[in-house]
Amino acid sequence: MNSMSTRAERRQEFVLHSTSFIIFGIAIIPILNALKKTEATHIQVVSPNALSILLNDLYIVLSVGLLAILLGIVCAFYLEEWLPKTNWGRRWIESHVAILTGIPSVLYGILAISIFLSYAGTLKVIDDVPSAQNTEVIPFQRHTTLFLGEVLIFILMVMPVTIKTTQEALRSVVTPVREAAYALGASQWQVLMRHVVPIAFIRILAGGCRAMARAFATAALLIGTYIWHYTTETDGMSNRFLLFLGAALVLSVCSSTLVEIYNSIYNSNSA
Amino acid sequence: MLTDEKQPVLRIRNLNIWYDDKQLLRDLSFEVQQKQVTAFIGPANSGKSTLVRCINRLNDFTPNFRSTGEILFKGIHLHEATDPTSLRKQIGMVFRKPTLFRCSIYENVAYGARISGVNQSEHLDTIVETNLQKTGLWAEVENILEETPEQLATGQQQRLCIARALAVEPEVLIFDEPCGELDPIETVKIETLVRDLAGDYTLIFATNKRRQAARVSDVAGFLYSGELVEFGATERLFTNPQDDRTEQYVTGRLG
Ligand SMILES: Nc1ncnc2c1ncn2[C@@H]1O[C@H](COP(=O)(O)OP(=O)(O)OP(=O)(O)O)[C@@H](O)[C@H]1O
Ligand SMILES: [Mg+2]
Repeated sequence: MNSMSTRAERRQEFVLHSTSFIIFGIAIIPILNALKKTEATHIQVVSPNALSILLNDLYIVLSVGLLAILLGIVCAFYLEEWLPKTNWGRRWIESHVAILTGIPSVLYGILAISIFLSYAGTLKVIDDVPSAQNTEVIPFQRHTTLFLGEVLIFILMVMPVTIKTTQEALRSVVTPVREAAYALGASQWQVLMRHVVPIAFIRILAGGCRAMARAFATAALLIGTYIWHYTTETDGMSNRFLLFLGAALVLSVCSSTLVEIYNSIYNSNSA
Repeated sequence: MLTDEKQPVLRIRNLNIWYDDKQLLRDLSFEVQQKQVTAFIGPANSGKSTLVRCINRLNDFTPNFRSTGEILFKGIHLHEATDPTSLRKQIGMVFRKPTLFRCSIYENVAYGARISGVNQSEHLDTIVETNLQKTGLWAEVENILEETPEQLATGQQQRLCIARALAVEPEVLIFDEPCGELDPIETVKIETLVRDLAGDYTLIFATNKRRQAARVSDVAGFLYSGELVEFGATERLFTNPQDDRTEQYVTGRLG
């Protein structure tokens, strides 16, 4: 009986450890892949229209954002619930999280734009797909380095914020509740599932919204830049400007709505 | 294995406790006998809570806590006998501030059974009713079992906490200043309850109210400046203390 429950706890601990490692492992593979690809010198991309840019980038923001949020939540649970405050790894991550969350999202936007612009020169935008020699022709969405740069930036923006807000949410589950449960013979896993998760859930969700808002703010800048860049040949000046503003506006509204959701959840929860 | 009636439930030998590098308790040795109330008295911050939390290994969660010495539960070293989870099912605890879970009164009492895997509703019903009756709460909450415990008075909440702890069927129950937040009328109820429970359970009772210890306990220990100054029958400790400091404390001239 006794050894069983400890073994079950160890297994759950193992599952938690290994899932986070696997997720990190999976994230490494495309990065290595990208390093190989950077050798291609002359790349042609098919000129996209504004809508496809918007949809493509929204797709990236949403999928990467959700992945980063999940990763951040797992990471925060691990840090907060399993590692002691004095653990060096925890302290290392927490200090980096503090740094990364302190950077305003517009700076990430500028970083993303500068990555794009540094590559934009090597990209030859074409309207059709000709069979040129010694060149690689790809649709806009498939440019690996640009894509990965964007993914990395979104992860760097979203994950630390999620880690921080999730940790705060977990800390809102006060010691007396945990101790009352432990004193009745609950295991760490039972305390987590029966008390910590239900109590912290809404705040964790709110934190996810805030993290997503950050990614949306940067995506607004980025999509605006893409549209500006790619619409040169096809549209007139005023059209380009309108498209730029439109895309940026839509995303900014999304972003501030998410922040509002976060604030309202937080205020109603702490009152 | 049957426990010998004469064997103490808990035997503490040369217990030393530190928080970081600061030693809080020095060289404590005492025994807790079956079906008695053992009280610990002492001024604020004398380490009563820390001491009783060692017994159900709740200090395991305090990173800067460190201890040496032995705690034997029914003759077996606390850290060797079982894992902390099943140990805490045998040694329950009631805290100063009643902390109930955010579920119904019924589910609060059924908690211990639920986490041990009991799910049949008739079985749970019996557990809930018996334990609420033990704490004299059944008549008061019989009709509001499905409601949250927030509406109850603090004293009722504390008795609900006791019922919840009893429902786990512990052998030992630790009370850490259970009346610290209660008014005199509610305090009397808890004290009476503790006396009643003493017939069936081994109780440990930490308090900084010396008269309360005199009323509820069979055996008492006086903690002062990191030492267990005196430990013995309550009657004797209060009427004929062996140590000057104990005498000063029980007569109200110290602490
Ligand atoms: N985690 C900790 N780290 C450092 N010091 C601690 C820690 N926990 C408790 N202490 C200190 O240890 C001393 C004893 O605390 P404890 O709560 O055991 O005393 P107590 O006798 O129960 O007091 P009270 O009557 O106020 O409940 C206090 O001075 C307290 O500040
Ligand atoms: Mg105390």
